Amino acid sequence: MSKQSVRGSRSSARDRADERESATAVRLEGVTHEYGSTGGRFRSGDERTVTALRDVSLDVPTGSIVGLEGPSGSGKSTVLHAVAGLLVPTAGSVELQGTDIAALSDAERTRLRRRHVGIVFQRFHLLPSLSARANVALPLVQSGVPRAARRDRATTLLEAVGLDDRTTHLPSELSGGERQRVAIARALSTDPDVIVADEPTGELDTATGRDVLELLTDVGRERAVLVASHDEATLAVADRVVTLCDGRVDDVR
Amino acid sequence: MSDKASDPPVDAESRRRTRWRGVVGLTLSRWWRRATRTTRGRIASTVAAVALTIALLVVVTGIALALADGGMATADDADVRITPEESGTLSSVDGVEGPRLGATNERAAAIRSRDGVEHASPVLVETARLESTDGDPRTVRLIGLVPDGESRTVAGLPTTALEPGDPHYANGSYEGPRNRELVLSPTAAERLDATAGDELSVSMGGMERAGGTTPSVTVAAVADEGTGGGGAPIALVHLSELQSFSGAETGELADRLLLWGEADAARSAATDVYPAGAVEVAGDTDPSTLFEDGLAFATSVIALLVGVTVCASFVATTMGMTVDEDRRTLAVLESVGFPTRSRLAVVAVSTGITTLVGSIVGIGLGMAGIVAVNAVAGATVAPGTVAHFHPVFVPYAIGVALVAGLVAVPYPLAVAARTAVLEEVAR
Repeated sequence: MSKQSVRGSRSSARDRADERESATAVRLEGVTHEYGSTGGRFRSGDERTVTALRDVSLDVPTGSIVGLEGPSGSGKSTVLHAVAGLLVPTAGSVELQGTDIAALSDAERTRLRRRHVGIVFQRFHLLPSLSARANVALPLVQSGVPRAARRDRATTLLEAVGLDDRTTHLPSELSGGERQRVAIARALSTDPDVIVADEPTGELDTATGRDVLELLTDVGRERAVLVASHDEATLAVADRVVTLCDGRVDDVR
Repeated sequence: MSDKASDPPVDAESRRRTRWRGVVGLTLSRWWRRATRTTRGRIASTVAAVALTIALLVVVTGIALALADGGMATADDADVRITPEESGTLSSVDGVEGPRLGATNERAAAIRSRDGVEHASPVLVETARLESTDGDPRTVRLIGLVPDGESRTVAGLPTTALEPGDPHYANGSYEGPRNRELVLSPTAAERLDATAGDELSVSMGGMERAGGTTPSVTVAAVADEGTGGGGAPIALVHLSELQSFSGAETGELADRLLLWGEADAARSAATDVYPAGAVEVAGDTDPSTLFEDGLAFATSVIALLVGVTVCASFVATTMGMTVDEDRRTLAVLESVGFPTRSRLAVVAVSTGITTLVGSIVGIGLGMAGIVAVNAVAGATVAPGTVAHFHPVFVPYAIGVALVAGLVAVPYPLAVAARTAVLEEVAR
């Protein structure tokens, strides 16, 4: 890929990187989650629940890539959503940079996610009516970053992922690989400590997937990256692979 | 939890303002892209729905305003009209029995001498029976005025065919020579079977004063079809001769006084000469007249209620559907750290822009609608204008649309608030 290293985009945090090189960015401790158990006052007590995670514990140190594998329904995505603060587990604790997300309000969890977590989805989830640059700058809007600074940051990140000639293109004008690179640039825009990626190469062909993995590997040198995938090639870039089965940790290698 | 090093070193208030500017700017930019590129049809249909509702409101309010304003009063091209205060503006056809202005000939002459006033003429409306030599008597409304040779229109008829001046008045003696001529509207000419040059005899109350014999007049011209008159059998004659026929020469009475010239000078002259009269400047329709006319007020209130209700229903439904199809975008915003209030702001601003743009398009359509209504009415049933546009309609229509948007916005907000991020991003 003809692009700059995305590590270069992390200038302000560089000094702190050494300090936290061996720090634990994400810690899951005895996490259990049941879907359908937090439905609210109108749900009947005997409603069936689905247990997605059972007593899952794992750590993701800064500067490492941890892979999550397992069959569909094994709980990979639920782990990612719990780390991103998109859900609060039924039991156990999820610590992000030392903060227990279960102890936070919805608004505080949203703020924590904005500041510390970048999410890469399998289906990219770019906003179709915004240019590549505006999509990348999206998280910075809520951070209160001025417009000019947002544009500069987004342009730098797009250059870093090799899309400097696609800044004004709409997602519909980009290929799958380009969309995923825009999504990765968006995940990096607030310079997060943790990147969670759910099947990041699932929609891509082999060659494009390889480019995206190279990018993620590059990103992972200074951050904690948690990547869920079925794909062996994707998992091969991980420093450690956690296998989930029926919501339990089955194996760690 | 400490702020990240990438956050700008600015105070919280400044960042909050920047954030909200960013959210609004993002929404505007996204709306524009959607309206012009990605979801043109959906945005266009919502804008069109709002625009049609607002256009309907503008047209109906314009008709109500014209109703309140007398409608046919604009069938002349005068710049300023003076009418008796008690009666408001009188119709050229049906205002004959109302209060009249006095000393009109003398005062009109005084007004004509003022700077900036080109011409001033009292207008007297009387009913008479005209009879051609080989036809039956027909009832015709005679409009008495003082022509000046310039091309002017009174009661929808051109005055140029009448001999300029009003010699019979003779400084109030009513003993000057009579012109004995009239200009017939097409309808009057048809009913009388008369053409230019024909002699017609006139009979009406008070004619005996003119000498006891039935006076006759000559048809100076028949107005062209489409010049106005509204299909009414009317005719223009010299003022003093009509005053003599009808007995209105005592007191030099007239129904109204028309002024041509610079609007400000004419208005000033009118106010000076008739301080107690109602002075109306052409094109200066007063929307407050809506509150003084029961039918017009009711019409405009109904238009307002229907406009707000229909517009709010359209906006709520279409924006609700749009937000429903747009749940994934809201989920993505949440996943990248937009809290609930920012996501709802995106929806509210989108709804507001759609409504605002719809209202502006609607005002344009409404203006075109008023022109069309006047054109259709003029070609068929009514003379002159039956609907007025007034600049105050612009803020009014925008205000109504925004109220409708406010009424509508809770529904798309409720749809947005129900969005479950995990369901959407997991698809």
